[in-house]
Amino acid sequence: MTERSPSKRRLHRELLSLIKEPPPGVSLDAEQIEQNLFLWTIHLEGAERTLYEGESFQLQFKFSDNYPFDSPEVIFTGEHIPIHPHVYSNGHICLSILTDDWSPALSVQSVCLSIVSMLSSCKEKQRPPDNAFYVKTCNKNPKKTKWWYHDDSV
Amino acid sequence: MGNCLKRSTTDDISLLRGSDSIREASSDPVGLPSYQEALSVQVPPPLYHPSPSVTRSVTQLTEEEQIKIAKRIGLIQHLPTGKYDGCKKIRECVICMGEFMVGDALRYLPCMHTYHMTCIDDWLMRSLTCPSCMEPVDAALLTSYETN
Repeated sequence: MTERSPSKRRLHRELLSLIKEPPPGVSLDAEQIEQNLFLWTIHLEGAERTLYEGESFQLQFKFSDNYPFDSPEVIFTGEHIPIHPHVYSNGHICLSILTDDWSPALSVQSVCLSIVSMLSSCKEKQRPPDNAFYVKTCNKNPKKTKWWYHDDSV
Repeated sequence: MGNCLKRSTTDDISLLRGSDSIREASSDPVGLPSYQEALSVQVPPPLYHPSPSVTRSVTQLTEEEQIKIAKRIGLIQHLPTGKYDGCKKIRECVICMGEFMVGDALRYLPCMHTYHMTCIDDWLMRSLTCPSCMEPVDAALLTSYETN
């Protein structure tokens, strides 16, 4: 990996723009990300007047050399995983833009905003109905979960 | 003794090989190189993406995938290209997030979204959709033929 690979250049640009204008509720440790541009930890605050107001979460982004052509691997990490019908207790997120509907025009910022809005529109805090089975049987990498591709019922 | 130089494939991949403007195909050396040379010049076969998250070496593509990719290459080559002239309407390529510089090679999609040619070609080889509006490029191209 050379210093100026296209994926690194783009990740660096994204980092600069997020430091300059972080969207509401999103913050990051730029120094830590500079150490490894391919692994980001992002702090999210639950939006005001939603079920997640006052809660804070951590998102982990893993990028491949093919970013932005390959979608990033995005999961919730840390102690506090939001209780939400699209979020499994191991942190995996069922969100189509992370797999099938990914486009290289999307970014860390747009993924964070989608996840905040997914949380904000929640009416009742509950785990996905198949949480126990999924967590026991899934691959570590959420992008390897094939059946997500057909799940548009929740 | 036997021939140690294994042929990479016996499949007819001439359609894919003919795509050097999109993806350079490794040119087969004429005649058999010496063993040492063969080791040093070994170029990995080009990689293709039948769908965005799938990466396969050219030798592992199914016949169906070969046809799909050959069609894609043909279609991409029909999309207009140009050079950035400093026009203020478009400033940035949303794929690399870099600003357009005068003289950069651009490609225009039927939906009127514009990207660096190298950036968008890399994506179109995985998915024939516009990254900005998700419009299928092949359908849009047909519509533009019909309306003109």
